[in-house]
Amino acid sequence: MKTAAEYLTVKSIAIAIAIRAALMLFVAAPLLAQAQALDAGNEDVRTLIYPLSWLEIGVINVPTDSPKFGEYNGLDRSGAYLLANVELRGGDAYQQGDGSTRWQVRGIDLGTTSRRLEANVAQQGLWNFGVHFDQLRHYTTDGSYQTPFLGSPGDNLFILPPAFGVINTTTTTSAGVITSENRGAQSLSASQLAMFHNKNIYTERRDTGLTAGYHMNAQWALQFDFKRLGQSGAKLIGSGTDAYDLSDAGGFKYGGERIAILMNPTEYKTDTLNLTLNWTGRKGFASAGYFGSIFHDDYSGISWSNPFVTGGTGGAPNPAPGTSPGAAFPLSTMSTPPGNQLHQLNLSGGYLFSPATKLTGGLSYARNTQNASYDGTYTLVPNTAEILPVNSLDGLVVMTHADLKLTHQASSALNFVAGFKYNERDNRTASHEYTFLDLGGEELSAVNIPMSNKRTQFDLGADYRFSAHQKLHLGYESERINRWCNNPLANNAQGELSATNAGYYTTASCVQVPRNSENRLVATWRASLGESVNVNAGFTHGRRSSEVNRSFYNPMQANNQGFENYGYLAFFDASRRQNLFKAGVTWQATDRFTIGLNGRRTNDDYDSTLGVQKGDTSSANLDASFSYSENGSVAAYASWQRRTRDLLSASGRDAIVLRDTLWSNNFSDRDNTVGFSGKQKSLLGGKLDLTEEFNYSSGTSRYVTNLVQNISAAVGNSGSSPDIRAKTTQFRFVGAYRLNTASSVLAGYLYQRLKSSDYFYSAYQFGFTPTTLLPTNQQAPNYTVNTIFVAYRYSFR
Amino acid sequence: MKRLMSIALLCAFVAASVVATRFAVAGEEAAPTRLGQDAVCTRCHDESETKPILAMYQTPHGVTADARTPSCQSCHGESAGHLVGDKDGKGRPAPDVIFGSKHTPAGYQPSAPLAQTEACLSCHKAGLRTHWSGSQHQTNDVVCSNCHTVHAANDPMLVKVLQPGVCFGCHKEQRAQTHQFSTHPLDAGKMACSDCHNPHGSAGPKLLAKNTVTETCLTCHAEKRGPFLWEHQPVNEDCTNCHTPHGSNISPLLKSRPPFMCDECHDGPHNSQAPYGTAVGGIQGGGALAGGNPNSNAVGRACMNCHVMIHGSNSPTGAFLHH
Repeated sequence: MKTAAEYLTVKSIAIAIAIRAALMLFVAAPLLAQAQALDAGNEDVRTLIYPLSWLEIGVINVPTDSPKFGEYNGLDRSGAYLLANVELRGGDAYQQGDGSTRWQVRGIDLGTTSRRLEANVAQQGLWNFGVHFDQLRHYTTDGSYQTPFLGSPGDNLFILPPAFGVINTTTTTSAGVITSENRGAQSLSASQLAMFHNKNIYTERRDTGLTAGYHMNAQWALQFDFKRLGQSGAKLIGSGTDAYDLSDAGGFKYGGERIAILMNPTEYKTDTLNLTLNWTGRKGFASAGYFGSIFHDDYSGISWSNPFVTGGTGGAPNPAPGTSPGAAFPLSTMSTPPGNQLHQLNLSGGYLFSPATKLTGGLSYARNTQNASYDGTYTLVPNTAEILPVNSLDGLVVMTHADLKLTHQASSALNFVAGFKYNERDNRTASHEYTFLDLGGEELSAVNIPMSNKRTQFDLGADYRFSAHQKLHLGYESERINRWCNNPLANNAQGELSATNAGYYTTASCVQVPRNSENRLVATWRASLGESVNVNAGFTHGRRSSEVNRSFYNPMQANNQGFENYGYLAFFDASRRQNLFKAGVTWQATDRFTIGLNGRRTNDDYDSTLGVQKGDTSSANLDASFSYSENGSVAAYASWQRRTRDLLSASGRDAIVLRDTLWSNNFSDRDNTVGFSGKQKSLLGGKLDLTEEFNYSSGTSRYVTNLVQNISAAVGNSGSSPDIRAKTTQFRFVGAYRLNTASSVLAGYLYQRLKSSDYFYSAYQFGFTPTTLLPTNQQAPNYTVNTIFVAYRYSFR
Repeated sequence: MKRLMSIALLCAFVAASVVATRFAVAGEEAAPTRLGQDAVCTRCHDESETKPILAMYQTPHGVTADARTPSCQSCHGESAGHLVGDKDGKGRPAPDVIFGSKHTPAGYQPSAPLAQTEACLSCHKAGLRTHWSGSQHQTNDVVCSNCHTVHAANDPMLVKVLQPGVCFGCHKEQRAQTHQFSTHPLDAGKMACSDCHNPHGSAGPKLLAKNTVTETCLTCHAEKRGPFLWEHQPVNEDCTNCHTPHGSNISPLLKSRPPFMCDECHDGPHNSQAPYGTAVGGIQGGGALAGGNPNSNAVGRACMNCHVMIHGSNSPTGAFLHH
């Protein structure tokens, strides 16, 4: 029998795990795991094989409001939070007798909106059953969002107070008809500003589910999982408000785009089902299953008052209140995500031809449907009849998948692998021509383009082990992507061609790049130099080529807004050469000290005349850990990451030959992260464990635009955007003091600070309203939070 | 009707499978192993080991009433030479299978990766491990015990809040990215890497749990699945065309900021042909385009101030992703 001190020593791994856990979550079960490890020190053998149950109760104090700090952890508001965690485990299987039943109940963070509760019971080898509830409130603003609209997050109707009045726009009228507007000249009146009020924006997920399994015998087992993911709340969204003017006799012709930032409701439910039958034999195994995902949205659209009605007299909106449905102000409406379903059948399995040769593969067939009504998804304009060819999409996408992989160990030193993958997204939705009023006020027609694609991949690889300490991997990968549309209407959709550009596309197709081909060569070398140094290096070279359809017409290019300039390709479509280098070294200097360095660099060179020209990513990571005693260790790391992207574009549109009005935009992203952690065990006579962790992250993103050629400064804009910066500092400290074999006191401190600046928010400030954008007062998140907790824990077996 | 047929086919398969169990070959039943066999090892090995023994009996590997429960030798091999001891004075030979990537305190070198993984795959070859052979981790000599701590009462790899710490031991870029401004809730313990990835190998790219990137993301983000009346090509093909899932300086998990992100695919239509430099800053009176004021096409959400249905629209008036 070992002494208590010896038990603590040999429990170092468990303690390390517990400490790591405590630092990760701060207020959760891992704290208790830490205490569990402490408690184990005085347990006899029997108790070591019988699980520890525990209850924890305490309080967390958060002194500062910060939804960004509480983005995921539920500690968004200042004040005291109940700290409540529990884990109960039992069952006759722990008696090491004839019983095989085990059960567990676990509750984590029960006093916050980041709580989880789960329970499961199993007779191992025969059946299992479990239920869970998981809540996650995700804050997407820092609490500074303001709006004049009446309504709460989760609603889908937002109206303005009747007395709000019209947001001023300087207009020129002729015979009572507005002939021009001075955009960007609006200002909000004092009374309008007084109607802005704060709304805290979050979306909350409630995940409720059950899992059940039944083992028929050693070969056959059935598994069933069901999950309902309910969402509520809202996320912010822009809106191209339908802005009326009086240039139309009816007073309803749309005249421009106006932007309000709205609380888009996320009142969703997603039911997910998984039923799988598994078979395992001596040489083979297989699974057959059904996966279903059914998404439901409580709404079909969101409506809001139009605060940008121009014209009229005084503060009265025009058209007169009541002439548009539902509110004094005319209402604009846009869609929310439509309900949809996915039903998928899956087969997978493997067969061992011999101990050295294996074949694995899978097949999937899925039908993704969507047939939500169009009702409530668009603005109802009085006296205007929308022309809808159908009342709902009746959309169908069939997804098929196949994969096959053969692996063969030719000798103890030589392995081969050959693989094949096929994924197809076949959109069989019908196309129709829709006539509608665009934000710009024009009556337009457009054809919906149901896009399909398939991706076919082959790969071959070989691993050769020169010795027990050195290995080389060589591989070849091939990928083909095909894109198409299934119906003639989509394949021949055309927009409004200007006379000068007629002929650029005549029989348009639905995609610009119907085919991509990419080939990659991969080489990786790994070696051990002596017993303490491991090194690796790798290189991948890839070439992607694109087949370009010069007659491509994009429905986004209608409305005389032009089409992509000649020579321009989207980056993910474009031909590209890619080189990837990576290398790493780890030195285990002693049993107590390890240090490692690794890095990678990727160079992307695009072969487009216009578009993304190149992109680079680089990273380097340094890690070191040192165990200075049986009861103490420290670790540190540093990460350096860089990313750049160079873009060349042309000013103007509708070019059928290469334009010479060129401008560039270069993006750079610089991220540095450093961290330190430490742990000290068995202090104060074996009663106290301490852990600390420090992380600092700094990210900076910048865009620089240059006018390269033939662009007048009067119409172009060059220079550097203000840096997007975020610096996060985090320090966590946790201690666990064991009072006796059953009781512990836990305490901790968390310091977290965010300093961020982002030009994104400049446009949404009060004081000026650039170009018809309603302010929201949103600020870049900044906070400093000092949080402490103290808890009492009772454990028992 | 087709749906009903699909369900009927599945039911038929299940029924056939159940019938087939009647014909299961008795010889394929796993040979029962018992706790008693462990005594061969526990005479010497106890809680003073680097990998303590007894906590294992709290794990699924310690349910002795389950006929499948392994003994020490089920995984470490019969290890006859090791049991005999230091017969020739050259030290006790190593057990047949030593797990891990580093030598043990006793100086034993780890077994070859294949020998280690086969010890586990002899029982755990199906299900999530179907695609192990030839997978990225297998090719790079990752072995089960690099991630799993089977002797511990709670394997951190199987505990949601602990799992990222295991993965970040190697995936250090991703560790750094989870500290950036915009992240998934890994640091808060509400997600684990395995919610998206299957580290044992998969039919998808980047060891993703599903067959494609899009399929994986839509498991949770089903509102973006459609099919929509008006689609957006990069959304259908790969979410990572625009998003970087492990962390970003640009919310929400974006690789770049509009309008520049949009410029990477559009040049010509509407204002995508216009160069914006300082104008994106939204500073009144400074960095403006012609006209003196910042332009709503450039500031804030930029293109997405109006083209808000960027993942697709189901409105008949949403051809330009406005509604």
